[in-house]
Amino acid sequence: MSTTSSGNTPTILSGKGPTPCRVSPCKFRILQQRELTSQTLHTDTQKDVNPFQLAKPELDHICSSINQTLNTQMTELREMAQYYFDGQGKTFRPLIVLLMAKALNAHGKNTDIISQSQKQVAMISEMIHTASLVHDDVIDNSSTRRGKPTVDSRWGQRKAILVGDYILSVSSLLLAQLRNEEVVKILSQVIEDLVRGEFMQLGSKEEPNDRFNHYLKKTFKKTASLMANSCKAVAVLSNCSDDLTERAFEYGRNIGMAFQLIDDLLDFTSHESVMGKPTAADLKLGLATAPVLYAAQEHKELNALIMRRFCHEGDVELARSLVAKSDGVYQTRLLAEAHSAAAIGLLKEFKPSKARDALEHVATMVLSRNK
Amino acid sequence: MLCKNCSSLLNRFVKNASCRSLSRLLSSKTYNDWNKAVSDAEKIVGYPTSYMSLRCLISDEFSNVAMHLRKLVGTRHPLLKTARGLLHVGKQNTQTRGLIVLLIAKAAGPGPAEQIKDQEPDKISGIYSSQRSLAEVTEMIHMANLIHKGVVNLSDYLESDQREKNDMEFGNKMAVLSGDFLLANACTELATLNNTHVVESMSLAITDLMEAEFTDLRNDNGESLLKPDIQFSDWIKQTYLSSGSLLARSCRSAVELADHREDQREAAASFGENMAYLQQVKNDLKPFLSKDNGLEDFSVTSAPVIKFLERHPDERKTFTSLQTKDQHQIFSIIKSSNVVAECVKLSDVYGDTAIKSLDVFPQTEAKNALINIVNATVNS
Repeated sequence: MSTTSSGNTPTILSGKGPTPCRVSPCKFRILQQRELTSQTLHTDTQKDVNPFQLAKPELDHICSSINQTLNTQMTELREMAQYYFDGQGKTFRPLIVLLMAKALNAHGKNTDIISQSQKQVAMISEMIHTASLVHDDVIDNSSTRRGKPTVDSRWGQRKAILVGDYILSVSSLLLAQLRNEEVVKILSQVIEDLVRGEFMQLGSKEEPNDRFNHYLKKTFKKTASLMANSCKAVAVLSNCSDDLTERAFEYGRNIGMAFQLIDDLLDFTSHESVMGKPTAADLKLGLATAPVLYAAQEHKELNALIMRRFCHEGDVELARSLVAKSDGVYQTRLLAEAHSAAAIGLLKEFKPSKARDALEHVATMVLSRNK
Repeated sequence: MLCKNCSSLLNRFVKNASCRSLSRLLSSKTYNDWNKAVSDAEKIVGYPTSYMSLRCLISDEFSNVAMHLRKLVGTRHPLLKTARGLLHVGKQNTQTRGLIVLLIAKAAGPGPAEQIKDQEPDKISGIYSSQRSLAEVTEMIHMANLIHKGVVNLSDYLESDQREKNDMEFGNKMAVLSGDFLLANACTELATLNNTHVVESMSLAITDLMEAEFTDLRNDNGESLLKPDIQFSDWIKQTYLSSGSLLARSCRSAVELADHREDQREAAASFGENMAYLQQVKNDLKPFLSKDNGLEDFSVTSAPVIKFLERHPDERKTFTSLQTKDQHQIFSIIKSSNVVAECVKLSDVYGDTAIKSLDVFPQTEAKNALINIVNATVNS
């Protein structure tokens, strides 16, 4: 059986990076673990570069800059729109966008100065993300996010949806003001992917292999597309080569996939008090993520539960215990590690810089987060 | 690909819709004028706009929603009513936006670039493909807005009626997804126009639509709210945010896409804006001019009420307290006053201003069609 990677498995550009880890397309199990240990690129002296520290000056301004753009005359609309930009979020997307911009500028222009347009892309990425969170919370009927009440539980569903649209249209306005048609296209694609991903979540596939592919495709659209395309956008704005632009995209995609896989894993292993949101939330919503899909290979009885979206009484508990008995969590972690390793491999062609090291650090950080 | 379920569903909707418009056509002369103005205009632009938004409904994602929509039949979720309204072919206000944008595009004519270069431009019936995309975007934004405004607040439904609450929750999900789908398509479609100024303008149109729901003339459920110090300028602002901005910016962008002069862009924007005011005044007048004294379409922030309060400031307090208790009383006072006639005159003024803005464009059948639509709206 061929082991060439499909669009959703961890990839490294052909011939340039280390051999991609093997992901069996039929069973999606990681067969060889040895190749997963990532080779570090950076020198010893720069080993402990803290990604957040490196982008701190810019990151510190992200929320206040976003809030300035959401400065409408309508008081309630403003308060609602700015609600999540309170500086308490992870601002993970702006972080990788800013570091990618730094690494690319260091590569091509020998400068670590981030251009104004690149900073705008970092803001736009966080705004698109937040707008989608506001809508997701209504769709999923969640009541808390980041330890505080969701927008819709505070102000009602109707206005919450309109605020999501508002944040999205302001981000689209900022995007247009970059006056770069290619970047407009790249980031508009993200908005379409987010919605299509949400639609994909409504349906599921009968056949287990299709189901895993469906899950990976959905994960790309719902999470990785934003990171991949935002990285691509700052690459386009840095006027770097097509190869490097592609690498930036692939880096973002692999980070995004790893990020979501870990998120899905934490839904099974973490405690509510740590996550700031209820755990086993996915199962309760009827969603089968990687740990369950892997577990179903060992415990065939899970397939029926997946198909009925865990709607019978006791389904959620049964699924949790079967996942715990299987190696689903372990396999999910391996897949995330493979994506993380692929992300690091992609950075090889970047000239050494602090920002590149920080991006590498981000790739390992994604695996070790516990919330 | 057109999914089977979806197409049969659509067919049913369209059939129902055309029967209804046929009966209305026979019963009312003014509707006849309107219908003729629209169908003449549709011939001029090549193909009717009503079907453009239907293209969206044929996609996989939307057929998914259409399937789920059947589960909503029998519930009171506003999404059902919105869906029915959207598919009512030829209904005034809902599908004329795209048509107006196409007519403005055609009325402005070929752009200066085309007159110099002799390469074959990408156009059908005198309208560039980018302008057709824009007209489609206008309709999609409007549809998405109608759908998202129909999301209900779940706290308004009692825990005791769990079934109804579940229905509303499900309806909300469908409304959020289908509105998002339309907005996302509008975004990608806009991106293909390769004109960031148009993207900017249309984004502002969406922010205006959202701001409209957060003014002090609207409550949390989107219902009209009368405040004691209301002025007609509040009405203008509300109408601009909720419909004028989108139509003005779409008309302006259509002309901009063909690289026409700034004064022509301004003229197009002015036409769109005044057309929106005209449609709103006519809408506000409807309950006063129709025979059945139905309060269904009556709004406490309609132009006649505000005009009346500007004339009779001593009634402000009474009206504000009456709005929740007895709207019928407000309605009767307005109906017997002379502000109705004043508002009819106002609609003439908006109609004239709209027509006057078209002066910068040459005499064409497209311009004539726009004038006919204005007149049909004034006389409706």
